[in-house]
Amino acid sequence: MATDTDGEAVIGSERRSETDRTGNAVVNWMENLSEAAYAYLLLIPAFALLALIAFYPLIATFITSLRADQTRGAEPLGGFVGIDNYVDILTGNARLARQFIDVAFSTSFPFVEFGTPFLQQALFVTIGFAVISVFFETVIGFGQAYVLDQEFRGRRWVRVAIILPWAVPIVIQGMIFFLLFQPEVGFGTEVGQWLGIFGPNPLADSQDAFIIILVADIWKSSAFMALLILAGLQSVDRSLYDVARVAGATPWQRFKRITLPLVLPALLVAMLFRTMDAMRVYGLIESSVGCTTVPSLTCLVVEAMFGGTRIYATAAAVAFATALVIGLIISVYVVFFRDTEGGLY
Amino acid sequence: MTDPISPRDDHSTTASNAGPTRPDGGNSTRADGGETQSRVFLEDGDAELDRGPLQRWVDDSIKNPDKVYRAMFYTAAIFFLVTTLFPFYWLLMVALTPEGQLSDIILTPNGFNPGAFIEVFQTIPFHWYVFNSFVIATASTVLVLVVGSLAGYAFGRLEFPAKVPLLLLVLVISFFPPAAFFIPLNDLFNTSFFILEPITGDGTLYNTPGAMVLPLSAIFMPLAIFILTTFYAQIPDGLEDAARVEGTTRLGALFRVIIPLSAPGVATAGVLTFIAVYNEFFFSFLMTDGQPESWAPLLEGILAYQGQYEVLYHLMAAASIIGVIPVAILVIVAQEKIVSGLTAGALKE
Repeated sequence: MATDTDGEAVIGSERRSETDRTGNAVVNWMENLSEAAYAYLLLIPAFALLALIAFYPLIATFITSLRADQTRGAEPLGGFVGIDNYVDILTGNARLARQFIDVAFSTSFPFVEFGTPFLQQALFVTIGFAVISVFFETVIGFGQAYVLDQEFRGRRWVRVAIILPWAVPIVIQGMIFFLLFQPEVGFGTEVGQWLGIFGPNPLADSQDAFIIILVADIWKSSAFMALLILAGLQSVDRSLYDVARVAGATPWQRFKRITLPLVLPALLVAMLFRTMDAMRVYGLIESSVGCTTVPSLTCLVVEAMFGGTRIYATAAAVAFATALVIGLIISVYVVFFRDTEGGLY
Repeated sequence: MTDPISPRDDHSTTASNAGPTRPDGGNSTRADGGETQSRVFLEDGDAELDRGPLQRWVDDSIKNPDKVYRAMFYTAAIFFLVTTLFPFYWLLMVALTPEGQLSDIILTPNGFNPGAFIEVFQTIPFHWYVFNSFVIATASTVLVLVVGSLAGYAFGRLEFPAKVPLLLLVLVISFFPPAAFFIPLNDLFNTSFFILEPITGDGTLYNTPGAMVLPLSAIFMPLAIFILTTFYAQIPDGLEDAARVEGTTRLGALFRVIIPLSAPGVATAGVLTFIAVYNEFFFSFLMTDGQPESWAPLLEGILAYQGQYEVLYHLMAAASIIGVIPVAILVIVAQEKIVSGLTAGALKE
């Protein structure tokens, strides 16, 4: 690296002779670049990595998704078929073990019919998971942030305890909840049955397993929400509370009129992040209840890829459709909350 | 002031007041700040009446709502502590229970068998998986910090026309699901490259750390870039100018002045990247064949217990605890950095 070139020619050519000792043509060239050119030079490594890992695969995925599946023969992909794969996955006709979405419209109430159970359709599973988990994580995260915002002895350790689930590897999170709800070992099944929400084998039942996944995700990810909301809380000017107290505002009024509006930008950013993350859910499902029981969008991609049926084009279409769904959700957030003070970016 | 409240000292109403209505009842009449006054009354009243501790507490609370908030606060804090820590505690209890007695463990283990923590390493080479995870996480962190520092410096301290669009482009990358990148990458990493043959044997990246380090670095780099941009932008220009006048090169100024002065920010980005890579599932799961010799990370080690050794639940628990320990230590040591990094990175975005 060029960091050892102390006596480098910074200003002019009169010190060029010194560069023989330390510098070289590359360093000189770098010194003489304009600010913008130097900036682009520094960005090259980052964008080269992103191009290799993100831009190129994204485009390649899209191109693959426009071709036909070739289940026989040496070539993995068939000819160009346009948006046929997307039509197939949207109409529930794809060659997938679990459908992306399988809904038919009918003329009678409620005007939609599910071809397969609701929780066996990846799009609904994923969106349902994202909406419910983000809702509970926001509420619990707010509670945790409120606790961490107070001054008390041992706050440091309470903060460690609250952050800890966030730092747990996904596979271990999955393992913990697998064991908790494994009828032989864990007591979670009995608790669930006592509450009347679980059947005999919750790990194999779509609805029960969906609840397990939700609980696991809320346990782990509330901390993330709490940290971002805490940052918002701590930026609130404390004297506002004093003013409100003098004016006779109840704690609830103080929360509604001062805390909430001021924390809202941070809260929205945190919710956006969590939503995107929840839409990608895969590892938690794979390591606890399994993709057959609760098929998420990413589950579908992986199963199509490695299911042995060679439906790579369909897999690519599902993958790209997943990206589109997430992009759509982000757009909704941005459009709805563009006017919020502080903004999303 | 105390008149509207004192009737509640009556036995029949204390019961109902002990419920969640307490804060409202106490507070709405209390918002005008007459606390010291009511405390005086309180002491008089208590001395005369003979009441149980609960009633006295309730009475006290009504007159002094701050105490109720304190109690609610402690209740909430304890609730959160229990819910976040209990799964770990329970996992430890399962790990300590000998095989075959694993039913009905809630608060205490059925027996005591710390040998499970040694058995974990004997059944499968679990230490190998942990080592692989460490290598992958460390390599990714170094790559992210070096590449991210260059980019963070450009975004934080230099002016150029495409700055905002490029920053948004980086942000957009972090939005995409890994699944959207995976299929072509899987092909790419299974393709044999002539240049790689001396390094990987068959010339493919599959089953090498590279197959995980590259995608994971790219995926977690946006967060690091945002954190580093924030920190680098805060260094006063004068310090960099002074170094330049002294004759430091442009890159020298970055590595000798800006980065050392932003050490907390670099540490933050490093800790977050390390935890993120160590915890990642998708690429770590799919980019190796699951064998420890093929650089399979920690998660394959843990899943090996779930698949192959179906009934060894106590070993699954013990392996999970061992897997959590490194990140738990990181969290305890670097909690401030994690908090500041997450908030700086996220709020910047």
